[in-house]
Amino acid sequence: MRGTLRHRSPVQALPVRLRKALLCVGIGCLVLLLRLWYLQILEGDRYFTLATNNRLRLRVVEAPRGFILDRHGEVLVENRPTFDLYATPEDVKNPQEVAATVAEILKVAPGDIEARLAEGRTRPYQPLLIRKDLDEAMMVSVEERRLDLPGVNLRIRPIRAYPSGGTAANLLGYVSEVNQAQLQREEFRDFRPGESLGQSGVERRFDAFIRGVDGGEQIEVDARGRALRLVSRIDPRSGANVFLTIDRKVQEAAEAAFAGKKGTVVAMNPTTGEIVAMVSRPSFDPNLFAQRLSGDEWQRIATDASHPLQNRAFQAQYPPGSIFKLIVAIAGLESGVLTPETKFNCPGQFYLGNVKFDDWKKGGHGALDLRGAIVNSCNVYFYQAGLRVGIDEIVRVSRAFGLGEAPGLGLGDEAKGNLPNPQPRRRGEPPWTAGNTVNASIGQGAVVTSPMQLLTVVSAIANGGTIYRPWVVKKIVALSGEVLESYEPEALRQVNVKPETLAFMRQAMLGVVEEGTGARSKVPGVPIGGKTGTAQVVKKGEEKRSADVKDHGWFVSFAPVDNPRLAVVVLVENGGFGGLVAAPVAKAVYQAAFEARQPPARPPVFEPKEAELED
Amino acid sequence: MFDRRLLTYFDWSFAAAILGMACLGVLSIYSANALTTSPFRQTLHLRQLTWLAVGLCVLVLACTASYRNLARFAYVIFGLNVFLLLVVLVLGKTGLGAQRWIRIGPIAFQPSEFMKLSLVLFLARYFDDRREILHQPKTMLLPAGVTLACAALVLKQPDLGTALLLVFNATAIMLLLGLHWKYLLPLGITGGVLAPLLWSFLKDYQRRRILVYLNPDLDPLGASYHIAQSKIAVGSGGAFGKGWMAASQSQLNFLPMNHTDFLFAVLAEQWGFLGCLLVLLVYVYVITRGFQIAGDSPDFFASLLATGITTTLAVQVFINVAMVLGMLPVVGIPLPLLSYGGSSMLITMLSLGLLLNIHMRRFMY
Repeated sequence: MRGTLRHRSPVQALPVRLRKALLCVGIGCLVLLLRLWYLQILEGDRYFTLATNNRLRLRVVEAPRGFILDRHGEVLVENRPTFDLYATPEDVKNPQEVAATVAEILKVAPGDIEARLAEGRTRPYQPLLIRKDLDEAMMVSVEERRLDLPGVNLRIRPIRAYPSGGTAANLLGYVSEVNQAQLQREEFRDFRPGESLGQSGVERRFDAFIRGVDGGEQIEVDARGRALRLVSRIDPRSGANVFLTIDRKVQEAAEAAFAGKKGTVVAMNPTTGEIVAMVSRPSFDPNLFAQRLSGDEWQRIATDASHPLQNRAFQAQYPPGSIFKLIVAIAGLESGVLTPETKFNCPGQFYLGNVKFDDWKKGGHGALDLRGAIVNSCNVYFYQAGLRVGIDEIVRVSRAFGLGEAPGLGLGDEAKGNLPNPQPRRRGEPPWTAGNTVNASIGQGAVVTSPMQLLTVVSAIANGGTIYRPWVVKKIVALSGEVLESYEPEALRQVNVKPETLAFMRQAMLGVVEEGTGARSKVPGVPIGGKTGTAQVVKKGEEKRSADVKDHGWFVSFAPVDNPRLAVVVLVENGGFGGLVAAPVAKAVYQAAFEARQPPARPPVFEPKEAELED
Repeated sequence: MFDRRLLTYFDWSFAAAILGMACLGVLSIYSANALTTSPFRQTLHLRQLTWLAVGLCVLVLACTASYRNLARFAYVIFGLNVFLLLVVLVLGKTGLGAQRWIRIGPIAFQPSEFMKLSLVLFLARYFDDRREILHQPKTMLLPAGVTLACAALVLKQPDLGTALLLVFNATAIMLLLGLHWKYLLPLGITGGVLAPLLWSFLKDYQRRRILVYLNPDLDPLGASYHIAQSKIAVGSGGAFGKGWMAASQSQLNFLPMNHTDFLFAVLAEQWGFLGCLLVLLVYVYVITRGFQIAGDSPDFFASLLATGITTTLAVQVFINVAMVLGMLPVVGIPLPLLSYGGSSMLITMLSLGLLLNIHMRRFMY
């Protein structure tokens, strides 16, 4: 009680203490007034000059983006220094003259430069980017003509560099300036115009980690815009490094084997969902985006009819063709209408009523059991099997294996594909017929899938029925070494299917490679299970396929059959028979993946601890 | 219920001072954004005018019914506000990032702003109930704990400024109730010694994370830029200022947040030292009146309430102005009555209305 207890009770003492509080208020006010006196009266003139000339310039020091590395720490994407040309409109006293000189150096029309300078009129004290990534000759010219160019200066900045060329460009994505449309959106409200932003793929999805935090400099300039002194500087903070599940060696082998083709190759660990390689062709040169793309170049890439920006692995969808027979076979075995011993005869064609459905092999395969039908990819067998299983059961099993839904990579839009809808809901839609079922049984007609979806199906067959979410990023590591995020396999669900069914399917698929249509994927010493497919291309609005458009070739596979470690899907657009064009690509992927790993040709830039590299 | 005689005791000069300041705020917001091209910013002064109108209604309403009713519901109000803070936290978790707002239809409000008043209400009621045992230091333990818990909730939003404000206010009230400063001394010393020590043990990225956590608004280019620009704006005002609408520094986008936390810089540039002196004197007048009202009331609860409200106002003004003048780090605290913002305006008007309420009823007790 001693100490706190004053002679009066606290209730009575309050007014007295309030008087003391008023004293505090007075002191506080005095402190503020003294500070105001100092700022406004004593230093007022200095601040007045600072304000009238606004001699304080703010410049952003862009943070280097984090690197993107493969699973072994080999660099796929890094940075290199580049020089950008800036102009501060307020300091450019004679815009026409300066624009003419700059245009001459950059070899562009003076009008463009003038227009750019006019854009900056609303924020005259903000340096305005004129041109990114000057080449050496331009830099020398700018330096030589310094005196003719008041308000114009060069700045060093890190931009993206790709030591392995355009490897996996569609997966990694590209980086460019945030565009006008994006700046309008809530999500980008903290961006300033001209700031770099990952625009697709990994660069986009993990941009928040990769981008780092820009620093800044306050510079006092003279009346001509020349820097007098650095007032303060905040260092930029580099972005975090992203380690992928991709194996650069496998990726490059897949790209080499796929050279000259259109379509996609994806390799995945079927027991985890880790993507080991992902190729999409035609592709683009990410270096183009790192510099300032001209409007024309951008238009050319964006409107290219072959869609180079699309990642065909999961953003495009195709008829699965004979790959879909795997689903029909599983549906038959599970519902009990088919057994491994079920036989159908294949005379080369099949009549439903008086409508004829051909087999791909003239003269037919003769009598076949289920394994034989899969090994030889017999159409006539599956026409009849499909009719017996029924479209509802086929659709049910398709959904169970993840067809008709996005695989969940999280790297932008994903194609969901399409499954037959036997109960047409919209008016005017023709009713579902047995003929439609026959077509669907060999993966034509209403069935459409993305390559990623088929890879999920084959992975589930290989691993015993688990659907994993496919993933490409293993972990994200800050420059300090702190692991910011690390990712684990995610089993989305277990397909309700008998183990014997999948065991039978694996053996049948082994047969496809050992003695059937997939023989060209054979790798000595590695038992591979596969399935070929050839999908007819029917252009929109045309009933019959045109003769000049070749079919899409498919090959899905996994290996080794008894202990699967890799599953591969290959799609060659307009390549013809899958067994001919797609299977050899898969072979190259397996060879690269199962070959003993050589020490990297170029030592990793970062020295991640060994424990972090191994999974 | 309403007694006409109460009008006789209404403090007209106090109300005039409040209204004058609020109008000055609207004018300053208008001039600060006169040159902007953003359609949103062009209408800021009209929005503030609307808030002022609503605020005046709130002020009048806060005068009508006796503050004694408030004493009865003090705990309920406080509990409700804590609940709202929790709601914000939970919604903030499911939403993206920081969240301080609750939206009901078109109206959004910040429960943390209202916490400033609710906590004062809670403390007033608590100490009023225990006026016989106020001299025992242990009476202070529970309120201290409650205050820290509230501050932690607000800090988690995250809103460092308001959290600090709550702690300052509660401490000030307890000191005024006779808590000897020597009880704060060991706390202060331990904190003062431990904090830098802990700080030095942290890794660089951990420090950064804490800083960013505490203040997500932290400009990547550095709060120092704000401060430098703010100082230039204030300093360039000189003795008599550049005059109405002539404040180039604060108008030309050099000064970020010129309509909210840095509004005082706009005033300083336009009206110079003289203007600042006048504005500060009006604040001192309002605060002095507040303490007088607290001292005059024969009702202990009313005294405590008035003390708390006045302290809140004083601390806010001091922190905000000191921040604009570059004497304190940038923690988002608005300048009461002047800064743009609906929640801030409403809560200030409500608080001042309660002061008038107490003043009107000083003979009715």
